[in-house]
Amino acid sequence: MNKRAGPAFYAVVAVFVLIVLFPFFWVFLASVKAPAYLYGDYAFDVIVPKYTIDQYVSVFTNHPFGRYLLNSFAVGLLTMGVSLVVASFASYAIARLHFWGKSFFLGVLLAVSMFPQIATLSPLFLFMQSAGLRNTYAGLVIPYTTYALPLAIWYLTTFFRKIPYELEEAAKMDGASVLVVFGKVLLPLVAPGLFTTAIIVFVDAWHEFLIALTINTKEAMMTVPVGIAMFQGEFTFPWGEISAATVTVTFPIIVLVLLFQSRIISGLTSGAVKE
Amino acid sequence: MRFRQRIRTANWTAYAMVLPAVLIIAVIAVWPLIRTFWISMYDLRLNDPARNELNVSYGINAEKYANSMPLLLSLLNKEAEAASGKSHTELRELADRLARADAGLREDAALQTRLDRINALLDDFKPVPADMQNIHIDKTGAERMRSELSGIGQSLQTLKEQGALSRADEAIGLAKAVQQSFTVPNFVGFGHYARLLSEPRLWEALDHTALFTAIAVALEMLAGLLIALLMNRAFRGRGLVRAAVLIPWATPTAVSAMIWHFLYDGQNGIVAKLFAEIGLIPDMGALLSTRAWALFAVVLADVWKTAPFVALLLLAGLQTISASLYEAAQMDGASRWKQFVHVTVPMLKPTFFVALLFRTLDAFRVFDLIYVLTGGGPANSTESISIYAYKTMFAELDFGAGSALSVIVFACVLLISIVYVKLLGGEVLSRRIG
Repeated sequence: MNKRAGPAFYAVVAVFVLIVLFPFFWVFLASVKAPAYLYGDYAFDVIVPKYTIDQYVSVFTNHPFGRYLLNSFAVGLLTMGVSLVVASFASYAIARLHFWGKSFFLGVLLAVSMFPQIATLSPLFLFMQSAGLRNTYAGLVIPYTTYALPLAIWYLTTFFRKIPYELEEAAKMDGASVLVVFGKVLLPLVAPGLFTTAIIVFVDAWHEFLIALTINTKEAMMTVPVGIAMFQGEFTFPWGEISAATVTVTFPIIVLVLLFQSRIISGLTSGAVKE
Repeated sequence: MRFRQRIRTANWTAYAMVLPAVLIIAVIAVWPLIRTFWISMYDLRLNDPARNELNVSYGINAEKYANSMPLLLSLLNKEAEAASGKSHTELRELADRLARADAGLREDAALQTRLDRINALLDDFKPVPADMQNIHIDKTGAERMRSELSGIGQSLQTLKEQGALSRADEAIGLAKAVQQSFTVPNFVGFGHYARLLSEPRLWEALDHTALFTAIAVALEMLAGLLIALLMNRAFRGRGLVRAAVLIPWATPTAVSAMIWHFLYDGQNGIVAKLFAEIGLIPDMGALLSTRAWALFAVVLADVWKTAPFVALLLLAGLQTISASLYEAAQMDGASRWKQFVHVTVPMLKPTFFVALLFRTLDAFRVFDLIYVLTGGGPANSTESISIYAYKTMFAELDFGAGSALSVIVFACVLLISIVYVKLLGGEVLSRRIG
């Protein structure tokens, strides 16, 4: 299948990439057009008489968009931290130690990763309400960690399994306890796996909408996806500002993707293919 | 002996290491799931004080009652004294009826003691502990009291209209407060399910969800496969294409829904204009405002976001196929098409089915995209079952019926998984564990 790619092939690829990226290009254009040119005769033109960055300024001054970003980062990083700690202990035990109920636990994890979040929403809401955790970071970090755990545990377990037993045996010979073997020998070896898991857990938390929409309803505690969805008024859509906000949140993601492409792909596809 | 000891310590360490994960999953995922089912058997309404908790029997909020009942009684007596003629007799009668009902209720010794203790606390300006507030009462007393109170409320309303009351609103408010101190049993068993299943809205929502899932997933798997085959060869700029493919995945669904909302806009949306000009849709406004096209719009936005992701999964599968298989096929003189059918298809099948299963389950619980893009409209024509459940819970504050709908979503997802596993074998699921 390694025939040299011809011009027709490149044309198809170019069209495909164009379709994928066009919406982003168009939104970027809308974010820098002067508001008057977003509507009417100029609405479909790339070249307009006036460009501006006012809409970016407005997003941060007229809307608490900075606050949304801060909330999303805080929730994402906290979820990432808690999930990694809990998952790395659990995955080591699953990969290396024998204990009763292991396959049952794995089955439960699989089921949890498949069941729809809305099926847990009403008790979760009532619980957060009565525990006073609505409109707090904990109110989101707790459910996000729960839903990140199955993925994180599976992924880290495959990483632990790849490490040769000899390394542990050598350390055990020297009299190291299970915890020392785990912390000093294995954890540094699975660092790449931890890193990939961290990115994917963070991105999932950054994306989550349903729980954020119901638990954190106060404007100061909203996350980015909910905040952007709330930009729309009852009948009006400030498209210029919405576009500027969209570009602002998409930009860091593009940087992240370009930097860690191969790690993200290996993380996403693990489990779907046998290695 | 030492060896056994070693195993045992390892065992305890293992439990200690998985314990946090087990606890979190049990408390925040498994327990709420069971609880959702439990709540779905009750008529739980957050906006109705008589039904905002799960009650199996009649009860009374003794503190509320102790606070409002004496006030209502004395107010009625005062009004009766101030009034004259027919209103006087009517009010006198109302006050007596209320006093009799109150006395009847207080024949319950447990309630009487509780009320005395609460009154003592209130007289000292001390707070009433939460566990003292609610007490069970028997059905006949409670029903009698509730019907008396609603009768009294109606009479007060009539008297107010006749202008016979000097503090009418206060009296009516107090009657309501007394009535609200009673809680009614709101266990309805499978009542919500019976009602929902007999109403067309649930079936329509299921229809939309199934239609969306079938079309979107089919298109995504097809487009994903084509893209994966396209990318499964060496060419210049492949890394860039891979990065471009990841960007829709990395954009939050709610944000990409907003982007598509802009592109579909009836007046200024470029995609709407493009579709109208090539004659695909009758006019620019059709995409988001007509029943048939709105679902198409939702599907297209979903395919755009997810097909690249499917392509990545399938590409990873393609890359595990050993080149020697293709070489051997070539030696035997197999054409490119033959190679695809006899090498690629069977080798890619497991990866394809895993992607298919997880995409189907994801698409079936679609929420963010529809919520932001169409809100379920126009006229509920894109309402998915998750949107319906959400609206019932958080717009109507009807948690009982909303939970029943959530359970229905769960049951559907379970059913889909079982069908897939039956058709494709359990292998599909265990593969995910790695």
